[in-house]
Amino acid sequence: MMDDIQPTTDPARPKSPLRAWFDLRGRSLSTLAFALNRLTAIGLTVYLFLHLAVLSLLLRGPDGWDSFVRLARSPLFLTLDVVLLFGVVYHMFNGIRVALVGMGVANRQQKGLFYGLVGLAMVLFVVGAILIYTK
Amino acid sequence: MDSTMSRRSLEQMAARRDRSGSLWLIQAFSGLLLVIILGVHMIAHHFIVEGGLRDYQQVLDYVSNPVVFTVEALFVVVAVIHALLGVRAIITDLRPSAGTLRAVNWVLVVFGALTIGYGVYLAVALQQLAG
Repeated sequence: MMDDIQPTTDPARPKSPLRAWFDLRGRSLSTLAFALNRLTAIGLTVYLFLHLAVLSLLLRGPDGWDSFVRLARSPLFLTLDVVLLFGVVYHMFNGIRVALVGMGVANRQQKGLFYGLVGLAMVLFVVGAILIYTK
Repeated sequence: MDSTMSRRSLEQMAARRDRSGSLWLIQAFSGLLLVIILGVHMIAHHFIVEGGLRDYQQVLDYVSNPVVFTVEALFVVVAVIHALLGVRAIITDLRPSAGTLRAVNWVLVVFGALTIGYGVYLAVALQQLAG
């Protein structure tokens, strides 16, 4: 029924769709970009719901929230923030490419668009990571 | 053309493809909108503030601004729609049966509505706390 939708399954090495995600051999750049986009998407989705749950601490008053803020400024949390920032900027800028190409814009410049946008994402990531540790 | 395939099932497949295309467009546009809203959210919440996070009173002062309240409420709505459409796309790639996909659609719609409801409730409650 859904045979036309199998972007992560290589017909030369058929396996279950889920297992195919983790086999990186012989993958093209666009497939790897797609896989990383999916991976960051899953992480960001989990984070979105965790974030909403954590924000509910605000309803308990200043004690609950301010003690969380102190914890969130610990080195471990800051490192997790850096990982989160990588997910956000990669997914954001690769997502712009996916949306543009999917809408038929810059189809032939897809590779250049990927390097340009993800390059910009990595610059923002490095600047953001420095700010996270120093601000 | 496969003779065992009825006209009805072909129409159902075409309708499913149309719906997937529409959902993809919604996800693409919500994603582009998120680039702006999430960018503003991250800069305002995590990069401008000293220490990377506002304390309790600073959060209340911030949310009491009607523009901030509107942007944050919009952020919850757009982020949840974008995230759950992404979850659906991943599940669709696992090639579920039509019945499973229908059930997944319902679960995601209910879960999304509850999450958006909770997010907006949270924003309203914080604004009321701010007085």
